Amino acid sequence: MKSNSGARVVAKVEPTLAHRISTKLYSKPKLRLQLLLSAPVTWLGLVYIAALLALLVTAFFTVDSFTGNLTPGFSLENFASLFTNSLYSTVTFRTIGIALAVTVVDVLLALPIAFYMAKVASPRARGVLVISILMPLWASYLVKAYAWRSLLSNVGIFAWLLRPIGLDTPGYSLLGAGITLGYLWLPYVILPIYASLEKVPSNLLEASSDLGAKTWPTLRRIVFPLILPGIVAGSIFSFSLTLGDYITINIVGGANQMLGNLVYSNVGVANNLPMAAAIALVPVLIMFGYLSAVRRTGALDNL
Amino acid sequence: MRITATVKLLAIGSAAMLALSGCASSNNGGDMLQSLGDNEKTVSLLGWPGYAEDGSTDPAYDWVTPFEKESGCNVTFKPYGTSDEAITLFKTGDYDAIAASGDATLRLIAAGDVQPLNTALIPNYAGVYEFLKNRDFNTVDGKTYGVPHGYGANLLMYNTDVVKPAPTSWSVVFDGASAYKGKVTAYDSPIYIADAALYLMKHNTDLGITNPYALDETQLAAAVTLLKAQKENVGEYWSDYLKSIQSFTTGDSVVGTTWQVIKNYTPAEAHVEAILPSEGATGWSDSWMISSKAKSPNCAYAWLNYIDSPKANAAATEYFGEAPATPDACQYGSADFCATYNAGDTEFEKQIWYWTTPIEKCLDGRTDVKCTDYAAWTQAWLEIKG
Amino acid sequence: MATSTPAISLKGLSKSFGKIAAVKDLNLDIGAGEFFSMLGPSGSGKTTVLRMIAGFELPTAGTVELNGEDVTQLAPFDRDVNTVFQDYALFGHMSVFENVEYGLRVRKISKAERKRKVMEALDTVRLADLADRRPSQLSGGQRQRIALARAIVVEPKVLLLDEPLGALDLKLREQMQIELKQLQRQLAITFVFVTHDQEEALTLSDRIAVFNNGKIEQLGTPQDLYERPKSEFVAGFVGTSNIFTEKESTALFGKKGRFALRPEKVTVSEKKKTGSISGIIAEVIYLGSFTRLIIDVSGIHIKATVPTDVFHRDQTVQINMSAADLVAL
Repeated sequence: MKSNSGARVVAKVEPTLAHRISTKLYSKPKLRLQLLLSAPVTWLGLVYIAALLALLVTAFFTVDSFTGNLTPGFSLENFASLFTNSLYSTVTFRTIGIALAVTVVDVLLALPIAFYMAKVASPRARGVLVISILMPLWASYLVKAYAWRSLLSNVGIFAWLLRPIGLDTPGYSLLGAGITLGYLWLPYVILPIYASLEKVPSNLLEASSDLGAKTWPTLRRIVFPLILPGIVAGSIFSFSLTLGDYITINIVGGANQMLGNLVYSNVGVANNLPMAAAIALVPVLIMFGYLSAVRRTGALDNL
Repeated sequence: MRITATVKLLAIGSAAMLALSGCASSNNGGDMLQSLGDNEKTVSLLGWPGYAEDGSTDPAYDWVTPFEKESGCNVTFKPYGTSDEAITLFKTGDYDAIAASGDATLRLIAAGDVQPLNTALIPNYAGVYEFLKNRDFNTVDGKTYGVPHGYGANLLMYNTDVVKPAPTSWSVVFDGASAYKGKVTAYDSPIYIADAALYLMKHNTDLGITNPYALDETQLAAAVTLLKAQKENVGEYWSDYLKSIQSFTTGDSVVGTTWQVIKNYTPAEAHVEAILPSEGATGWSDSWMISSKAKSPNCAYAWLNYIDSPKANAAATEYFGEAPATPDACQYGSADFCATYNAGDTEFEKQIWYWTTPIEKCLDGRTDVKCTDYAAWTQAWLEIKG
Repeated sequence: MATSTPAISLKGLSKSFGKIAAVKDLNLDIGAGEFFSMLGPSGSGKTTVLRMIAGFELPTAGTVELNGEDVTQLAPFDRDVNTVFQDYALFGHMSVFENVEYGLRVRKISKAERKRKVMEALDTVRLADLADRRPSQLSGGQRQRIALARAIVVEPKVLLLDEPLGALDLKLREQMQIELKQLQRQLAITFVFVTHDQEEALTLSDRIAVFNNGKIEQLGTPQDLYERPKSEFVAGFVGTSNIFTEKESTALFGKKGRFALRPEKVTVSEKKKTGSISGIIAEVIYLGSFTRLIIDVSGIHIKATVPTDVFHRDQTVQINMSAADLVAL
């Protein structure tokens, strides 16, 4: 500033519009918060909640079976067939079964890996491990599923490894789909368990050992209660992702179908959006039940 | 994933509602054009992948650009994956014309989504194989709704190393399928029920099936039973032809229904053979149809005429792997093009039951019973897959 | 100590972390019932030694013996020692009672017996009324006492304390020092106490080992260390000392060598006395019960402790130092 009475010059400068708005907002913290949140709340309200509501409403519509045109109205027909047709209960229980199996296997695999990463590995090795666990997440889901399609194939690595010892590749089957899903969601299970294990101070393990507890009692009484929220958080991922899957089962599941396939078939093949909506509410309800059950463990803070 | 699915559902839902409000009034698709006006500037097409190539996939395959130059209509093309997806997309009203298979055409006609055609305005229609004209999948009440694009059969493919003796009948995937348990493949669509019906038509004459697309309750139930038994031996169903090629190449599938194009693209070392079994086969003849709400009807007419011109028809059908709609196309494709796809072979053609949408009014002319419609087939298909 | 088997005997103990040697060839006997302190700055190796005794670290070389038995390769849960951790390491998901009960529980002691012993231990640390609380609901001093109760309830022969008072404020620390001392007398077991606070070590210990750079710099009673430091490091670390270089000693006392002199051995007066030399007060540091002066004697800074605050900066004073009080280093 050229002037030698700088302070007075500054004082005379007309405040810019932005400056005045800032000043105004500074004195009104509530308004500030409203402005900040309006965009995301609108998004959440219109796009997210409204989409779910539309799903619920659509489930009561019907479809003209020949022309495929949607008939709005209120009909419980879709829900009735959901309960009376054995197809839907069979597929629902199969889907829940796969989701549970994938979750249990993933948690059992994730626990030792996460424990090694958080408590045993050197900081350098830990970094490498975290990156190598995150790395598959950068690859497309489809590419990984198709990679498993060739691994599980008649001439794939499973057949090559297992045939000499009298076994065979699981092939394109429920087991094949379970293995592939387990692979796909494993990082989502390892990471929250790793994060919760990392938060367990090492000196708690030392204290337990110091007080006379061998490895297993330490794991059971100290480590497990502290990482339970992380395990539940990981299981939410693997369970819900499996529940909604329809692509993997299509690629490596052979002739089997899951709930997602029924939804897809009803939209794509049958052009029956209301039925698809009614089926889609099944996993929504299952997850709602599961989430309310685990809310009390504090797992939701670990997501 | 759940979120994308939800958004997709919502999008489709609102699209369907728009379609509903748009087409509630007309149910016959309106009157056909009596004369053509000047071409509009653009035309929007919907079809199977590879039906309208403009050189962007492979510069060697381009039959859209010559059309654009000739007609002044700029083409936008949207490919679809299944007949059902095609119907959902077409109902948005965004497309002037569609290339639809027989399992979709009747549904579009009945919903009033397409308009009757004045074939006099399509000079190249005269050159089309007579056996493709006036069929129940492109003509209703004497009105022509679609002009043929090309046709093909759903053949039986098998691995010559594994499947012995060489099959001559579909029984290898039905009654005899247990010999290849876990290695049998089938087309993943409700329309595949017709394959079972065709088999029953030949082997279980008591059922009285005369048209695999006209099944009453009992006949459908028999087909479903046959398919449920088949499912025990099915390794996987296919709807993506690349997936089928891969399964036959690795040996995960050794016998099942196929298209000529799949046979052509399966590597020679996979040792596969594709035949037309003694029972005949289901097949498809695709039709180009014009939307009843077309914004560019003149350009759409121009495209329909162009795609049946010998040179363009040869390019399009050979690229996809099917027989052309017109015998004159044979001069333009590669030397054995028409022989490979049995084009014009009337003996071959007679054995094909082209995909047709099953409707309540029996297509075989029976009036004493109601036939099962496509919705019933869809439900049956879901139950077969279980 | 003397004749009986030492409670802890370390022989040729070494520990390296990669290329860094944390403990170098350490030999040390700690007697039964002793209050033994390991004093040193951070990184001097004292905590590493404690962790090797507890079994949390395996030595690179050498052996650890407890009551004559070689436990070098035993896991912590097989050693008859218990540790009070620097930040207590209480189990946050358990109540105070369950924390203290833990060591008894994993030893499969009956429920009634457990309850009796836990309440006894909590009584010892005067926290029986807080048994149902969670550790997070307690103050620092209370957590400290829970950690103590948890360690003593299993009746170890040796209690290892790793800077147990480090996180407490001064007032509480002084109170806890007294309690620790009383507790050790009451239980009559060996305490091995790690600290960097020399005053704390001097106050509590029977014997102190001063650690520097992975080695014991000097081992002895608090008095030994204070009165007769053997090295400049000990003289500097334990209490405050004037350290005179060879040149300075020659100038001040006419003696060759390096010497240490405690500030309280320097007498300061305003008037000239026999053998006094004059200097100028460079700094006056008020320390409550006494005052520290830094006096400039022709370029040499000498620290002196005086009881009152009668002196002021820049004042010229006379100081007396006796060569007999010098400790050769």
